[in-house]
Amino acid sequence: MKNGLQPTVTLTVDDKEVTVPTGISVAAAVLGHLHLGCTCVHPVDKTPRAPYCLMGVCFECMMEVNGEENVQTCLVSVEDGMVVKRQLKVPEAK
Amino acid sequence: MENQTDLIIIGGGPAGLAAACSASSCGLEVAVVDEQSSPGGQLFRNIETPLGQSLLDDGDRQRGLELVRNFRAAKIKYYPDTVVWGVEPNRVSCTDKDGARLLHGACVVIAPGAMERPVPFPGWTLPGVITAGGADILLRSGGTLTRESSDPVVLAGNGPLLLLVACHLLDNGVNIAAWLDTGCWPKRFAGGAFMSWSFLDAGYMSKGKAMAKKILGGKIPFVTGVKQIRAAGDTRVERVVYEKGGKRHEIDAACLLRHEGVIPRTHILRSMGALHRWDKVQRYWYPVTDDFGATSIDGIYLAGDANYVHGGDASIIKGTLAGIDVARKIGVITKGEAAFRSEKHLKQLRRIRIARSFLRYMFAPHPDIFGVPDETIVCRCESVTAKDIRKIAKEGNRDVNEVKLHTRCGMGPCQGRMCGTPLAEIVAAAQSTTPDKVGNLHIRQPFRPVSLENYCRVYTEEPADT
Repeated sequence: MKNGLQPTVTLTVDDKEVTVPTGISVAAAVLGHLHLGCTCVHPVDKTPRAPYCLMGVCFECMMEVNGEENVQTCLVSVEDGMVVKRQLKVPEAK
Repeated sequence: MENQTDLIIIGGGPAGLAAACSASSCGLEVAVVDEQSSPGGQLFRNIETPLGQSLLDDGDRQRGLELVRNFRAAKIKYYPDTVVWGVEPNRVSCTDKDGARLLHGACVVIAPGAMERPVPFPGWTLPGVITAGGADILLRSGGTLTRESSDPVVLAGNGPLLLLVACHLLDNGVNIAAWLDTGCWPKRFAGGAFMSWSFLDAGYMSKGKAMAKKILGGKIPFVTGVKQIRAAGDTRVERVVYEKGGKRHEIDAACLLRHEGVIPRTHILRSMGALHRWDKVQRYWYPVTDDFGATSIDGIYLAGDANYVHGGDASIIKGTLAGIDVARKIGVITKGEAAFRSEKHLKQLRRIRIARSFLRYMFAPHPDIFGVPDETIVCRCESVTAKDIRKIAKEGNRDVNEVKLHTRCGMGPCQGRMCGTPLAEIVAAAQSTTPDKVGNLHIRQPFRPVSLENYCRVYTEEPADT
C-alpha cells in the first residue's frame, strides 16, 4: 500500500495525467485519490454531485470514459491511457 | 452452442462464488456473470491484490482467498465487467465491453448481495456525503475520504457497517469528530432478550466485541438520540446540523458518512414477479425462498444477503446450498447425495440465523428517520422532494406506483433503487399506515441501462463479436 510496491496505472482525468493504484474503480480514483469533489453536475437541478454508494446503485458517478458519456464509473476499473472527463456541463436540450 | 450452460450465476461475491464452486464440484457446467473486474463482491473486493487484503481481518482474508482460489481453480466460465439487465427463466441478457450477450442455462442463481438502506435528509446530495460502505470502498482502494487526515469526518446512523468503518478510519488515523447515533433504544433492549443465543456464533460475536473495544479506545464523541440530521454547505458538505433533546446542534465536517443498516437488493426478482415478504423489524422486503434458496419461480434461485441479510459467512453457506440443490434438480446428483452434501451446511446456517436474530433488533432502523423535512430531495435522479410525495399521497393516491406516475419519483437512471425505500416510508406515513400496505415500485426489464443497439442484438439472437 504505502510501501511503494503497489503497482500503478497512469490515466488522464480532465486533461491532467495522474497515477493511481491498479485494480481500483475510476470513481474511487477521482474521489479518494484526486479529491476532485464532484464527478458530475446534475442534469435536472444543476447542482454538483458525487457518488453516494460507490457500488453501482446510485448512478451519481457518471463521467465520460474514453469518449463514452454517462458511464457508471464506480463499476469501471482504471486502465493505463484511459481518458476520463468529469461531466460538469449540463447537456443542452435537443 | 457456446452460450449454453447448466447454471448461470449472477454476481461474483461470496454467495455467487460459493454457488459456482459447489455446483461445479457436483459436475455442473457453470457460468458466472459479474459487474466487477475481479471476483470477491463487496466483502472480498479486490482480494487478490495486497490493497484489497490490507483492511480485512485475518479470518475474512483467509476465507475470501480460499473461496477465490477454489473458484479460479474450478472449470467455471467467468464473465467479469459484465452488466446483467434482463433475466427470464433459462435466459440471462447482459452487456460487456464487446456488446450484448444472451446466455442460456437450465437454472439461474441470483446473488446480487445487499445495499445500504437509502435514507434521505436535507443536503444528502452534497459532495462529501457518502454511505459508510462507499467510504469503506474508498479506504480499501488505498484512498482517503478527505484531503488531509486532520479534516473532521462525522459518522451518523445506526448499523453494523458503521462499527467496521469506524475501525478502519481509526486505523488510518482519521479525525472522527463525532458519531451521531439514530438507533431505536426500545428495540435494542428487546434485542437483548435474544443476545444469549448469540453464543451459537461465537466467532462473529467476538469480532463485534473487538470492534466495540477499539472504538471505545479511540475516544470518539458518541451522541445518542440524534434526530433531524442535515448536511449544510455550498458546493460540498461543510457542517452537519442535528437535533438532540429538542435542541439544535452544529458540527464542522469535511465528510459525512450515513449508514442506516443493510437491505437486500431485490430489483431482479421483483422485475420477474417473485414472491416477497415484509420484515417489520428491519423494515425491508425480502424474497420468499426455501432453505436452499429456491424462489417462487421454477428454476430461479437466490443466494446470499439478497435473500435476507445474514452477513458474509452465511452468504457462503447459502451459495453452497443453492449450488447443491441446482445439481439435484438438474439430476446430476441423487436426492440422497444432495442431502448428504448439504447436511452440515444446513446446520451451520440454522445456527447463524438464530445467533443473529438479536442483531435484527439491535440494528433495527428507527421509523422516525424517514420523517424528513418537506424540502428534502427524496429521488436524487429526478429531484423529487418529500413535499411533492406527501402532497400526492394525501390527495388519495394510496399506492407508491400512483405517486411515481404523478411525481416521476423512481423514474430516473437508478430506476428507484435509491428512492424506492424512502418513497414507501413517506407515502405510508402520510396515510398513517406501514410501508407494506402501500405497494412496491414495479420494476421493469431492462433493469439496468442498455443501448438500443445492444438490446436489439440480444433479441435477434445475433452473437456478439468476440
